[in-house]
Amino acid sequence: MSQSEQNGIYVESTIIMTTVRIVVPFVFSFGLFVMFHGAESAGGGFQGGVIVAAAVLRLAFAFGIEPTRTWLEGPLTRIVIALGGATFAFVGLGALVANGAFLEYAAYGFGTDGVKYGIELVELAIGAIVSGVLVSLFFSLARGDFVNVSEQNGGDAESDGDNGTAAGGERA
Amino acid sequence: MESLALYATLTFSVLAALAATFLRDVLNAIIAFAAFSFGIAVAWILLAAPDVALTEAAVGAGITTVFFLVTIAKTVRPGGQRLTERIDWRSIAVVAVLVGTLLATVRSLPRVGSPDSPVATSRITEYYLQNAYPETGVENAVTAVLAAYRGFDTLGEATVVIAAGVAVLLVLRQEAYV
Repeated sequence: MSQSEQNGIYVESTIIMTTVRIVVPFVFSFGLFVMFHGAESAGGGFQGGVIVAAAVLRLAFAFGIEPTRTWLEGPLTRIVIALGGATFAFVGLGALVANGAFLEYAAYGFGTDGVKYGIELVELAIGAIVSGVLVSLFFSLARGDFVNVSEQNGGDAESDGDNGTAAGGERA
Repeated sequence: MESLALYATLTFSVLAALAATFLRDVLNAIIAFAAFSFGIAVAWILLAAPDVALTEAAVGAGITTVFFLVTIAKTVRPGGQRLTERIDWRSIAVVAVLVGTLLATVRSLPRVGSPDSPVATSRITEYYLQNAYPETGVENAVTAVLAAYRGFDTLGEATVVIAAGVAVLLVLRQEAYV
């Protein structure tokens, strides 16, 4: 089954594939850098998350949306979103347990460095949420054009079960 | 010199915004919109707000454009050879009233970089600049405010992102694209 017959958008191009193969690891690292380095310079979880999501989208443009979606098949993106939300919330709740205020990093008792690492953990959690939401949004938006109805229904039944996880993360 | 660059960037953004409004083909409009976002991102850099610039470039010019492109793949191109949209004078009147109202408030804003603007003279600003590094060990005061001093707000933002994402994903899953 060739992808180019299935849809009009995807064109198999050696130039795009090679470029993306070389560029994507760097873009991915840059996204992580922006998340971590938000403490020292411009950046943070929201921006870094978007850049990481852009790296995945780039893969989808080079190798076709459907193969990339199959590669990301399963609850991976939803688990990433839920983990991000839960991490953020538990960092906040943990401070309550340690007799501090909600999200009071200093309550963990690691001094100024502890506050900094707490902030970076939270930035990473935000990055996970943003990149997870954007990647799954992209594949849901792009899906209709590239999947026939029976396949789509199969995917539905499978993914509905995992939705509880994401919603649970939000409430946590 | 710097203000010249800023004026050039803003003029470019306004022209790109007008192009995005008046171009008839949706694809052209999306490209013009990306150019508008890019111009605004450069303007943020010139105004020394790199955090906002990074967000504008990544979200406005980058990922939003991709989402728009994926979405118009599902629409039909308007027929005909016209390059621009027909002008609807009633819409122009509404826009003129809105823009006029907003422009009337501009005069009461402090000048860019003014030393006695409320933000610069506020005691809270002073507190953040004095204490952000000793208290949090974070050199970027913006990050310190976002993740530490206003961490609860940021948790709310993250929750909004999750909730909106889950809601949109659920709705998209219900649609049968046949």
